[in-house]
Amino acid sequence: MVHLSSFLLKKYHGGYVVIRLALAGHKQANRPFYRIVAAYNKRARDSKYIEQLGTYDPLPNIYNEKLVSFNFDRIKYWIGCGAHPTQSAAKLLGLAGFFPLHPMTITVAERQRAQTLQAETSTAEEDMREQSQKEADV
Amino acid sequence: MFQVIGGRSVQAARLLSPRSAVLLEAVRGRKSREDPVAKSKEGRIKVPPPVDPVEMVVLKERFSEYQLIMRALRLEFKEEVLRKKYQEETGSMAEERAKQEAEEHRALMAWNDQENQRLLKLRMLRFQKEKEEAERKRVEAEIQREQEQQELITQREREILQLQEDAKNFITLENLDQRIEEALDNPKNYNFAIDKQGRVVKQTVQQ
Repeated sequence: MVHLSSFLLKKYHGGYVVIRLALAGHKQANRPFYRIVAAYNKRARDSKYIEQLGTYDPLPNIYNEKLVSFNFDRIKYWIGCGAHPTQSAAKLLGLAGFFPLHPMTITVAERQRAQTLQAETSTAEEDMREQSQKEADV
Repeated sequence: MFQVIGGRSVQAARLLSPRSAVLLEAVRGRKSREDPVAKSKEGRIKVPPPVDPVEMVVLKERFSEYQLIMRALRLEFKEEVLRKKYQEETGSMAEERAKQEAEEHRALMAWNDQENQRLLKLRMLRFQKEKEEAERKRVEAEIQREQEQQELITQREREILQLQEDAKNFITLENLDQRIEEALDNPKNYNFAIDKQGRVVKQTVQQ
């Protein structure tokens, strides 16, 4: 197995490396900002990590964009060393194009589309019914 | 509930004295184990969201595909990492780098030797200069000492001459009588006054 470089002193029994989102600057309320990070599984979400591999800003900016950054070279290295990405990290990478699109992204999008269609059709039906009622009244 | 005060003291303070009409935000872990269930949630049975079988089939298909692709990617990346490591250690670039490093080392050692030579020369010059300086100083000190000795000798000679001069006025056994007679014949009076301008006044005592 490939030898992991640069450890953080502690040895974990049966621990593995994950690529996940860690909340940065968590002393600020109501302004989240995530760092995409390679860390040990057992560590707390925001505590010491092995390496930072990118950022994710969940709040949209003035141009209505959510900014994400990745260090693809190092992500490749860590995945090659046997790191597991979490669901949200995998979804972000899928949207970026580095991974295939996550199935849940597709299903959630489909559900939302079905919901909006249903809402549209129900409003269209209501309009039709109102129109027919008015005609009947008239 | 009171065990949680340590972590969320601000919220607890607000809870104990609710002055504002604004409700507390939902704080995770507000309730401890022994707290009873809230009244509004008494008969609640938690039900997971309903599963659409058609969607589930499609989803399972998608997931299997996704996992296949992910596994392939993982193996690819692993291979790339191993190849990089191998190239690092035993590649064509590694040999070239080793050669370059050896050459650099040799050049640096040569430069170092040159520097050492130069500094050695400088040091020798400095040494020479210091030796000459020391020699000069020694010679000067000798001269100085000689001069001082000469001066001392002259001073002693002068003293001796002075003594010899004085010896003519000494009172010896032969002169004794003569001198006593002379002293008795010439009484010396040391009673005199002196005023502010420095003029000597000899007549002080009414004689």
